[in-house]
Amino acid sequence: MAVALTVPRTMAAMKLAVLRNSMSGQKAGSIVMGGVLGLVLAGGTLYAAFQSGDLLAAAYAVWMLGWIFGPVFAGGGDETLRPEYFTSLGLAPRRLAAGLLVSAFVGVAPAISLLALSGLVVFGVRQSPAAVPVALPAVLLQLAVFVLLSRVAVAVMGLALRSRAGAIGAGLVNGAILAALGQGWVFAVALGQTGGVPAGASAAVRLLPSGWGLTAVEAAGTGEWGRAGLALGALAVLVALLLATWAALLARRAGSVKASARGRRPITAATATGAVMAKELRTWSRDLVRTHQLTFAVAYGVFFAAAPLVLGWNAMLPWAGPIFIIMAAAMSANLYGVDGTELWLTLLSPGAADVRGRQLAWLLAVGPVAAALTLGLTSVTGGPWPMALALTAALLGGAAGLVPLIAVYALVPGIDPHRRGNNPLRSSEDDGAMTGLAYAVLVLVALTGAPAAVAAALYGWAGVAVGVLTGGLCLWGFGLLAQRRLHAQGPELLHMMRTGKRPAAKPGSWARFDDLPKREQIITAVCWSLGAIPLFPQGIVAGVLKVNGTEDRSWFLALHLPEALQWPVIAFMVLLGLGVYGLGLWIPYRRRTR
Amino acid sequence: MTPALEIAGLTKTFGEKVAADHVDLTVPPGSFYGLVGQNGAGKTTTLSMATGLLRPDGGSARIFGADVWSDPSRALAMVGVLPDGLAMPERLTGREVLTYLGLLRGLAKDVVAARAQELLSVLELDQAEKTLVIEYSTGMRKKIGLAAALLHAPRLLVLDEPFEAVDPVSAATIKTILRGFVAGGGSIVLSSHVMALVEQLCDHVAVIDRGRVAAAGPLEQVRGDRSLEDTFVGLVGSSDTGSRGLSWLSR
Repeated sequence: MAVALTVPRTMAAMKLAVLRNSMSGQKAGSIVMGGVLGLVLAGGTLYAAFQSGDLLAAAYAVWMLGWIFGPVFAGGGDETLRPEYFTSLGLAPRRLAAGLLVSAFVGVAPAISLLALSGLVVFGVRQSPAAVPVALPAVLLQLAVFVLLSRVAVAVMGLALRSRAGAIGAGLVNGAILAALGQGWVFAVALGQTGGVPAGASAAVRLLPSGWGLTAVEAAGTGEWGRAGLALGALAVLVALLLATWAALLARRAGSVKASARGRRPITAATATGAVMAKELRTWSRDLVRTHQLTFAVAYGVFFAAAPLVLGWNAMLPWAGPIFIIMAAAMSANLYGVDGTELWLTLLSPGAADVRGRQLAWLLAVGPVAAALTLGLTSVTGGPWPMALALTAALLGGAAGLVPLIAVYALVPGIDPHRRGNNPLRSSEDDGAMTGLAYAVLVLVALTGAPAAVAAALYGWAGVAVGVLTGGLCLWGFGLLAQRRLHAQGPELLHMMRTGKRPAAKPGSWARFDDLPKREQIITAVCWSLGAIPLFPQGIVAGVLKVNGTEDRSWFLALHLPEALQWPVIAFMVLLGLGVYGLGLWIPYRRRTR
Repeated sequence: MTPALEIAGLTKTFGEKVAADHVDLTVPPGSFYGLVGQNGAGKTTTLSMATGLLRPDGGSARIFGADVWSDPSRALAMVGVLPDGLAMPERLTGREVLTYLGLLRGLAKDVVAARAQELLSVLELDQAEKTLVIEYSTGMRKKIGLAAALLHAPRLLVLDEPFEAVDPVSAATIKTILRGFVAGGGSIVLSSHVMALVEQLCDHVAVIDRGRVAAAGPLEQVRGDRSLEDTFVGLVGSSDTGSRGLSWLSR
């Protein structure tokens, strides 16, 4: 027994040591930021536990999806301990998986999920004290299911990305699932329910593995011990099955990827820009991670726009193209970072226009598909042509301009492709920053479509001209800025990728979040996460509701108070929100380097 | 005569650590110059600063008189660089890498095609016509890197650890090509921590220790009548750790 426990205990200790070391480095910034955000979400989940079972079940479904899809799109998940580290020890796959599983529970994300899952205990206590003995094992089993589902998802993706068919298939499936989630209301309406959580959805969120723990607690609360035992047992069986699957997948992971032997078409370009374009297009088609991302973006756009067809409503179809463009831009956000230190070749040929070649390649990879989607689906609905065309043109140019610009200004150091080991999704050590970058691109690219959208809404066909114009300007102008930055800061960018660290701030500038002392990082992150609550819902929204004389007081504190105090409290909340944001700004400003 | 590479006072500090501390080196044209030093002595930092890949805190580097940092297009056109362990365009085949880089350097299309063919066959990479660089072995990676460095017919080659983890057959091929390059009037600077290799190939040598040049000059002059290894150990001032054995391994 002692021997059997040594492997997991050693691995857990190893993981703890690595985490402790990384907390003193620059990665600490991402960890603290993610931790605070997670705490806010866990707090929301606990709040749900005080409200209703339906809400809690839905919240756990979201947690589960986060565990499954988070790593797939944000750098391959937690790889602090890689299976490859232990290959020379000759451990049986099951023991290796068990050891890695124990170490997988050590970390910030599991701790926060555990806090969120303690909502099961809260819910149990509210029902009946008898439910608590069921709630405790349910929490642990549920956490094990989350962690294991995440690991199995990454392992399955790793296998899928070994072949082109697998990459495309995974892209289609992931796109369909996430689009369906984004359009959840459609299916709720389709089930014929309005107002409150529909009965179908209420049952569905409990049928998902994320709802089994809650089912057990609810059954125990009403004295249905058989049902409670069944749900707990099902969780335990699922954990065992997932562990066995993961062990089997780990054994397959050790094998390396087969060498490709497809025919190669020769590069026919004759100029430097043409050569960059040819290289980029080949990378797009040969790197299966990029194939997956592009397929995902197409599937997301199409399924998102097609979901309302369930209701017999096709007016969303023309937006599949624009949605695809925005999603494809977010997927290629770290354009330079994913190539790693390959940048040295660009630095050695200072005359070549690397950015322009990459822009054209991006347009060639995304443009035709986007145009086909917009033209094809808009002709199905018969319009609105001006808006669809204006947005497609504006977003294509905007994305092709913004993607390289953000890639050089907010570069997240990537892992060199030949050093990624057996997890092809693992493109950076800093997956928190990668996720942030993808969201930033998502929002900024969407904004580049705004002028054309407004013009098309007001003046119809003139919007298309505006779209072509703003698209062209973004393409040209942002590309120029990116090229200049690449020339001016190339060696610094290369150094960042060699060391995997962002450089220290220049004298006179504000302190970076990463460079702040840990205590101040936590305060800053809390300020940025929580400032919105007093400012928007408790302040501005409450004020708007009061002006409109709305009866619904909901959770707006001011509206529950005596009339005379309402405006002062609203004003106080707005000031509090601004003050909290101000504090979040002031801390890094005060620490600015001299 | 203008030196092939003239490094004057190159300095670089990473946080607290001084990686290069006023490094001065003069590489005469036509010489085969070896840079030796322990791991972390500052060889890679110095060579990166000399080839425009890392911005120095102070000092300058000139390639045949052209300043690397103020006149990069002229300076970099005359040098071929093989850095250690950096990425290549990984999803291209060897021939595609050379075609891409040749066009990037502004060479004409047919010149690129002819040189790529010759380089691939001399370096014995034409057997793996369909293999992507990401699937290459370490030796093949070094060879395609060398081909990339030679493609635009530079007058100076700067090679960082060109023989690290390379099998003997590939190493022999690389040595032959390097000797031919010097015989044809080219100059080479290479870094290594294998003394025997430097003694075998180079005519000039510099010993780098903790970011400083401990000794530099013609090989015979630096090593005197001792072997380069003894000279190196004497200069770098290692203690007697080498003579101590591991107690649990002796029977």
